Amino acid sequence: MVRQAAVLAALAFLPAAGEAIHFRDKISWRSSIPPSEMVSVEQARGWGDTAIWVDARPDDEFASDHVPGAISLNEDRWNELLPQFLAVWSPGKKIVVYCSSLSCNASREVANRLRKEAQLSDVFVLEGGWEAWLKGNR
Amino acid sequence: MSQTPNAERPALNVELSGVPASNIKHQTSNVLWRLLDFVLAAVFIFAGLSKIFDLDHLLTALLHLRFGDALIQFRQLTAASPIEFANGIDNFKLVPWPVSVALAFYLPWLEIFCALALVFRLLYRGALILLITLMVVFTLAITAAKLRGLDITCGCFGHASQHWSFPSHLATNLTIIAGLVALSFANRSRERL
Repeated sequence: MVRQAAVLAALAFLPAAGEAIHFRDKISWRSSIPPSEMVSVEQARGWGDTAIWVDARPDDEFASDHVPGAISLNEDRWNELLPQFLAVWSPGKKIVVYCSSLSCNASREVANRLRKEAQLSDVFVLEGGWEAWLKGNR
Repeated sequence: MSQTPNAERPALNVELSGVPASNIKHQTSNVLWRLLDFVLAAVFIFAGLSKIFDLDHLLTALLHLRFGDALIQFRQLTAASPIEFANGIDNFKLVPWPVSVALAFYLPWLEIFCALALVFRLLYRGALILLITLMVVFTLAITAAKLRGLDITCGCFGHASQHWSFPSHLATNLTIIAGLVALSFANRSRERL
């Protein structure tokens, strides 16, 4: 029985590996955000004034420190903070959303809501989040 | 004198009446078990395919009995993005992201191969034990998620299961597990004979 199960498990591995190769550019093994929706600190800095930085961390973390010029927009106070963000946003601007680190989900969630609910395009998630920003500025 | 088909009938009847009642019962139960094999195989093939291909439009056409449309949709079938299923697995917060991605690629094919093993009765026992294990793990995972207060969709049947409630998921999973366990026992008693 175990041998039969092992044969089946091995057989299923072959097409799965083929599919993984086929989708290698569309799915990231490091993060749940597709590579096309992520941006590195260097790349985002290069955008200069055409980028709006959005801090998706909780209020207390934003208050203690944040990227210069960043706007706070978190899910806890979404309805309250979204109008403030939209007042700053203008068409053609790139939006860079970040949260604490590589493993946090808040930036992904906020970026998704900006795309779906606010119908905005050019929304990117900062790779490595606030931690990566700090490293890049040491 | 050549025999007519009608002339053969009495002999056939004699042969049928000679079959012991227990054999007929046995054959009937075999047919029923095979039927259960096919039903469960269809469930797992659908579960696997719905994660590999975007079946939404095809299913809508089939549900509305628009077979012409269904054929067009079948020809235009596109691959579903594995990221959706990977996100579905990731939402359970049980495994790290790279494992979710690996499972998103692997599990649909495992379901399909096991289902085909049920249909063709090749590697049958292995397929049953794998499917039972998978279903028990899925059921424990959705129960654990519910207990932890996670508001998630399992994506077990692609978009079709996106709005299922927890009791519907649980009932479906337990029914499938019961079917697989029954097949396993039936197979064991068949092997003993």
